[in-house]
Amino acid sequence: MFTHDIILIGGGGAGLRAAIAAAEQSSKLSIAVVSKVYPMRSHTVSAEGGTAAVMRDTDSLDLHAKDTIFGADFMADQDAVEVFIKEAPGELIQLEHWGCPWSRDADGRVSVRAFGGMSVDRTCFAADKTGFHMLHALFQTSQKYDNIARYDEFYVTSLLADDGKVRGVAAINIYNGRLEAIAGKAVILCTGGGGRIFPFTTNAAIKTGDGMAMAYRAGVPLKDMEFVQYHPTGLPGTGILITEGSRGEGGWLKNKDGYRYLQDYGLGPPTDTPVHRKMELGPRDILSRCHMQEYAKGRTFEGPYGHYVHLDLRHLGEEVINKKLPFVRELASKYVGIDPVYEPIPVRPVVHYMMGGVHTDMNGSAPLEGLYAAGETACVSINGANRLGSNSLTECLVFGARAGRAAVQYAAAQGAPSSQRLEALARDEQQRLDRQFLRKEGGKEKIAVIREEMQKAMEDGAGIYRKEEDMKRTCQLLRELRERFSNIAIEDRGDVFNTQLTAALELDFMLDVAEAVAHSALNRKESRGSHTRTDFPKRDDENFLKHTLAHRTPDGPRIDYLPVTITRWQPEERKY
Amino acid sequence: MQITFKVYRKDPEKDGKPGRSNYSVELDEEATVLDGLLKIRDEMDDTLAFRASCARGYCGECTMRVNYKACFACTAKVSAFTKKSPEILLDPLRNIPVIKDLVFDWDAFMWNKITAVKPWLEPDESSTNGENLLPDSTMADLRKVMSCYYCGLCDEGCTVLPVDFDFLGPAALTKAYRFVFDPRDKAGRERLKIAEKPKGIWDCVHCFEASEHCPRGIAPTERIISIRDKAFKVGITNEKVARHHTSFAASVKESGWLDEGRLALESEGLTNIKGLMKLLPTAARAMARGKAPIPYLHPKRPGAEQIKKIFEKGEREKK
Repeated sequence: MFTHDIILIGGGGAGLRAAIAAAEQSSKLSIAVVSKVYPMRSHTVSAEGGTAAVMRDTDSLDLHAKDTIFGADFMADQDAVEVFIKEAPGELIQLEHWGCPWSRDADGRVSVRAFGGMSVDRTCFAADKTGFHMLHALFQTSQKYDNIARYDEFYVTSLLADDGKVRGVAAINIYNGRLEAIAGKAVILCTGGGGRIFPFTTNAAIKTGDGMAMAYRAGVPLKDMEFVQYHPTGLPGTGILITEGSRGEGGWLKNKDGYRYLQDYGLGPPTDTPVHRKMELGPRDILSRCHMQEYAKGRTFEGPYGHYVHLDLRHLGEEVINKKLPFVRELASKYVGIDPVYEPIPVRPVVHYMMGGVHTDMNGSAPLEGLYAAGETACVSINGANRLGSNSLTECLVFGARAGRAAVQYAAAQGAPSSQRLEALARDEQQRLDRQFLRKEGGKEKIAVIREEMQKAMEDGAGIYRKEEDMKRTCQLLRELRERFSNIAIEDRGDVFNTQLTAALELDFMLDVAEAVAHSALNRKESRGSHTRTDFPKRDDENFLKHTLAHRTPDGPRIDYLPVTITRWQPEERKY
Repeated sequence: MQITFKVYRKDPEKDGKPGRSNYSVELDEEATVLDGLLKIRDEMDDTLAFRASCARGYCGECTMRVNYKACFACTAKVSAFTKKSPEILLDPLRNIPVIKDLVFDWDAFMWNKITAVKPWLEPDESSTNGENLLPDSTMADLRKVMSCYYCGLCDEGCTVLPVDFDFLGPAALTKAYRFVFDPRDKAGRERLKIAEKPKGIWDCVHCFEASEHCPRGIAPTERIISIRDKAFKVGITNEKVARHHTSFAASVKESGWLDEGRLALESEGLTNIKGLMKLLPTAARAMARGKAPIPYLHPKRPGAEQIKKIFEKGEREKK
């Protein structure tokens, strides 16, 4: 058995930020970062466009807060948003001191660019590989601390809780297949979202909602899971993201007639140079819906991978593209054979981010003693019904750090967990894995088949536009898939790098997350932010200005609600 | 199109002997090698082990050899490898302990070495609370070096690592560059001391394979040369190879040609008694065969003055 004070699950932006925050509190604390991949393979590397904070005199904390709350369609908790906005600039400067190579203006200051739904330029960036450089800086800095131990390529299968408190985790060492008990006084979940429950996503293959499902199984509710963000500009086929930064720099969206169609949906008038919150700088949920409406009108292109529109960057010129958007040029030429200097890029909406997640307060604390969550795994909530682009990297930093500090404070008051008890819990977990997977005889179902059917059910019932009968069918299908999953066939009985076992565990987690999403969506009989219902097209503050909480039961999710915290910004119609 | 993947297999729990499995897969024109592998795992053989994460060329996790060429499975289009034959060979990287199938030991190969160069910024304690003001050109250079995916392709191409696995290798040394040349970092001298240790910068043979292999155009070999230059500039030249460089240049500059006796002595170091003793048998053999004239003289060559001028011009320009 391994023993630490604080355990981080996940080594991406939030996890490493939390680990550093905890390590800084005291060199005597022992901190473990447990991750199913090497930290530098975490999905934070994929974030491109930037990270928002109030860095200039022309901006203000109130303005950033207002944009965020407005973007969230008033589902964000305003007290949490205020904390978030206030701590954001300090985090970005901290990162600069840790070596993040932010892009600079001529005067040497960190540059800011425009982003969707933001009233001023406030998105800091490191060219168009911002998440990549942030993760680099965090990963490098984390190595400075001797009291941060890493468990790379350890797959956490379950939280170990005893007596109403989290006491550690059970994790498979992927190298030798051994299930290890890792004891800790506090556990912080930083495993990202679960975009892979959908067939077409910008998310890495590793984003299977593990942390969300683990908390859910431990009795913690998942909050606001119905809110799934589609990013309007992914490459057809692969789903590779073309950053919102490309629109921030002035890119245009055009339908098959070469027409800037966003002006037909209340986002106009079109201008040559970008205007904040207008046209292509509208928020992601609205832009994705506009795309679908253009499709319905027959004004999109048709290709081998479905409908798409054009993202036109040609007017920006080669110099701007090379300096500000070099990676966009690289991705477009590598994956669709197009040089954006000379041709428009084909794009379509693609599943990108989950606003919902593990229910936490603004210190990352979940309603299970000793359990914390931060980043996309968590729902604080600052993103409400629709996250603004470039708020999520900042969220990883601010709430990663807060969760790290809060966990240290909590752990200080806790005694060491009983090793006997933990080993017993780990043995139970081993038996579960044996029974369900490793020593199970027979079994007919294929992992890939169930995964594919789940993804299709999610797209059909919980896509951009939703309606009652589709969602009911999806809920039903997910129940059946859960049933069929118990008849899964496991051929690989090896201990070393058994990737079939990890694939099965991931699918197991995804089925839980998918069900929480579908049921939360079915129960929200209104349209708000990313959740758009054709049968309930209006926002309904009277009945639904409240957070959804999905609790796990043997018969599927049980849904209840929690009030949204409103402080200074009263709900109003969300018009751009 | 129908493709046959011939995949390297090794199962440490069976006999541990390497072999190959063949899989015939139907793929479309745009498919990548990773698409093929995922299809094999989903539909044909769940026991095949390989690594992959982002699946779109950002993260470096799926590095492997495709028809013996090291690359990322997720960006390698199948069509590019099947022009001559519909067969694709898949192997793990060279010279690295294989754990299972296409999975190899990243820790020993690269991560441990990267940690060894202390890859974190040591800022000046007295620095400002706010942002440091820096030109974007400086940041652009760092961004270029930091765009390293930790994919290991430079180490895979390195010609030193196959003969000396303990060499830090281009990936780790490029990481050292990133900090040596960051104006915010104050640990410069200490960093150069780490880089100049045995198995560090002086063990690079500048064959430029690392630069050829880097998928990001970071040019690791040139970065290693830059660290050496910097080490010379600040007078960290104590390593044997550094003394060898210095002596070589000094000898040619002064006499117009290489003084091999002096080179041997100065490379070992004139106060390095143990090193000098090691030279004695060689010196004795050379004398016995008449290759070291007695008395040992090293006259200037004709035109030595002009050679000296070339050196001086170069030195002025470098300043």
